[in-house]
Amino acid sequence: MLEISGLRKRFAGGPGAPEGKQALDGIGFTVRPGEMFGFVGANGAGKSTTMRIVMGVLKADAGTVSWRGEPMTHADRQRFGYMPEERGLYQKMRAGEQIEYFGRLHGMSQANAKKATEDLLERLSLTDRRNSSVESLSLGNQQRVQLAVALVHDPELLILDEPFSGLDPIAVDALATVLQERCRGGVPVIFSSHQLELVERLCDSVGIVSAGRMVASGTVDELRAAEGGMLRVVVRDPAPGWADGLPGQVDVQGNRHVLVTEDGDDQDILRRAIKAGHVEHFGVEQPTLTEIFKEAVA
Amino acid sequence: MNGMMLVARREITTQIRTRSFVISLLVTVVVVGALAFAPKLFDRPDSYTIGTVNSQQLPLEAAAPDIEFEWRSFPDEAAATRAVLDGDVDAVLVDGAKVFTDGQIETELGVLLQSTHREAKLGAAGVQIAPLQMESVGADTRYQAARTGIAVVLVLVLFMLILGQVMMVAMGVVEEKGSRIVEILLSSVRPWQLLGGKVIGLGVLGLINLGAILVAGIGASFASGFAADFPPGMTGIVAGVLVWFVLGYAFFATLGAALASLVSRQEEVGNVMSPMTMLIMAAYFVAFYATTDPTGTLATIVSFVPPFSSMVMPVRMAATEVPLWEVAASAGLMVLAVLAILAFGAKVYERAVLRTGARVKLGEVLRAK
Ligand SMILES: Nc1ncnc2c1ncn2[C@@H]1O[C@H](COP(=O)(O)OP(=O)(O)OP(=O)(O)O)[C@@H](O)[C@H]1O
Ligand SMILES: [Mg+2]
Repeated sequence: MLEISGLRKRFAGGPGAPEGKQALDGIGFTVRPGEMFGFVGANGAGKSTTMRIVMGVLKADAGTVSWRGEPMTHADRQRFGYMPEERGLYQKMRAGEQIEYFGRLHGMSQANAKKATEDLLERLSLTDRRNSSVESLSLGNQQRVQLAVALVHDPELLILDEPFSGLDPIAVDALATVLQERCRGGVPVIFSSHQLELVERLCDSVGIVSAGRMVASGTVDELRAAEGGMLRVVVRDPAPGWADGLPGQVDVQGNRHVLVTEDGDDQDILRRAIKAGHVEHFGVEQPTLTEIFKEAVA
Repeated sequence: MNGMMLVARREITTQIRTRSFVISLLVTVVVVGALAFAPKLFDRPDSYTIGTVNSQQLPLEAAAPDIEFEWRSFPDEAAATRAVLDGDVDAVLVDGAKVFTDGQIETELGVLLQSTHREAKLGAAGVQIAPLQMESVGADTRYQAARTGIAVVLVLVLFMLILGQVMMVAMGVVEEKGSRIVEILLSSVRPWQLLGGKVIGLGVLGLINLGAILVAGIGASFASGFAADFPPGMTGIVAGVLVWFVLGYAFFATLGAALASLVSRQEEVGNVMSPMTMLIMAAYFVAFYATTDPTGTLATIVSFVPPFSSMVMPVRMAATEVPLWEVAASAGLMVLAVLAILAFGAKVYERAVLRTGARVKLGEVLRAK
């Protein structure tokens, strides 16, 4: 279990911004074994900074990161898989050798590293690229190599900063499958993404960060429940002014009126709608993650 | 295998496969090999062909044992003249009384012919002259030319290899920092392992280069006969070169890596490295000066001062005989300097290598807690 609490980080100001920047302002969350955690937030919200602190690339000013109940150590991190936001690979090195090299650096034997490399190349459809130098690969394929580097040593925790960006839909599915497998094997997975539909589809829980603070977190269902559904009523050819006095917005689409509201007495609204015209639709709609996100960071 | 050795191995295997490594190795080997043949080209000819017409051969071999003489006899002056003009023979002794040459005779051959002729005539008249005994009361200068030659080649080789490998270290550090590979690397290995592995790996490549140069140079020297002029203690000189290369390289490579870790872009490497490049250049100039004046005050003093000693001392050792205690004292000081720079370099590297973006100031790094 990964527990992060009270992380604070301030970057020193430069010539352009002398007062500096409070990037993290007490961020905290928990990821359980076998849980896929989606980390979302606007640009500059502090996602990458949080991940870099967890990986020991940056030092926090305050707060703790603990792994399995103990403060995280370098030895722990050696068993993690990390994909940084700014991709880094040896450009002149061959794809296969590179994956194998990182496997060995993480303490694998030559034979195991080789085998794991072959598996990943296969999974990520890179087998015929094994001996190509990284610089000769397309951006998406470099991205796949980067992922393989993070996955090769069968990590105990995965921290991936925007792993899906730049991948084609087939590669997205391939990666999603790999991550779900690892997750089922008990590995906590954290990834950041701006593709919220993907996060909604894959993640067990989601954390929304804004200006260095966690503004909402929990399972997607919990977030939905907290946000509450919206009542949506569609009435054809209603009498004019039928919705006067009702809460919410009425959107006129030709001869249809669409009423969307968060509160109000639904039975009362239904009665008024029936009286006014022909009710085509009446129902509570769950907010999408995108809507929850916009609401949370607003 | 631990992290440092894995890092070192990666450096070696990726470099050794590049075409530029193979080509530069071949070129240096060929150039150094060719240099071993150079003395022969500039030396006096080692052999003369001398003809006789109606004359006894003179005992030239006895007078000049280093030189080979080939004798031909001609039936008459006309045949002899033709041979001289065709360049078949260097000189022809005619009737034991005159010498035909094409233009002026080479001084050495002329003097030899005159003196052996005189000696033969005197001997025939019953006069015995004891030859002059040669005795040197100064240093043994027999090998001076060879020593200077070896020293000059050595200073060039050390300078090029150290500068070349150190630049590779620096560029490698910046490649990893600029591309953020360090962020992944440092989650599995420690900064000192990464730094150490890189320095060791590229150092091994430098040693491979140096070894190839030494083998080519010494092999070619034996092939060309230049090896006969090798000063005594050549093994010591060769061993010294290897040790001094390792010390000098370790110093400059660590310093170079530390400086390079301050910047994030390849274009900035030259700039941030310039103080160190200047240091290497200074060592090179003093070492070059030491080839001609290895016992002078400047060369002697500087051969004790790290890091300059790493280039000046091996050159002095080649150019003249240096007492063992001096070598040991100088090497001891250099080892201390290497240890100090390792501690310093590892600290700077560790603190600077994750700070991407604008160039990090050295003072800031040292002041940080
Ligand atoms: N090295 C740095 N020096 C100064 N400020 C920094 C540095 N790194 C990040 N910041 C600042 O910290 C804040 C958080 O940045 P971070 O990269 O964590 O955002 P993010 O959530 O990952 O954004 P994105 O979605 O754009 O990747 C930003 O305001 C950024 O400008
Ligand atoms: Mg980011």
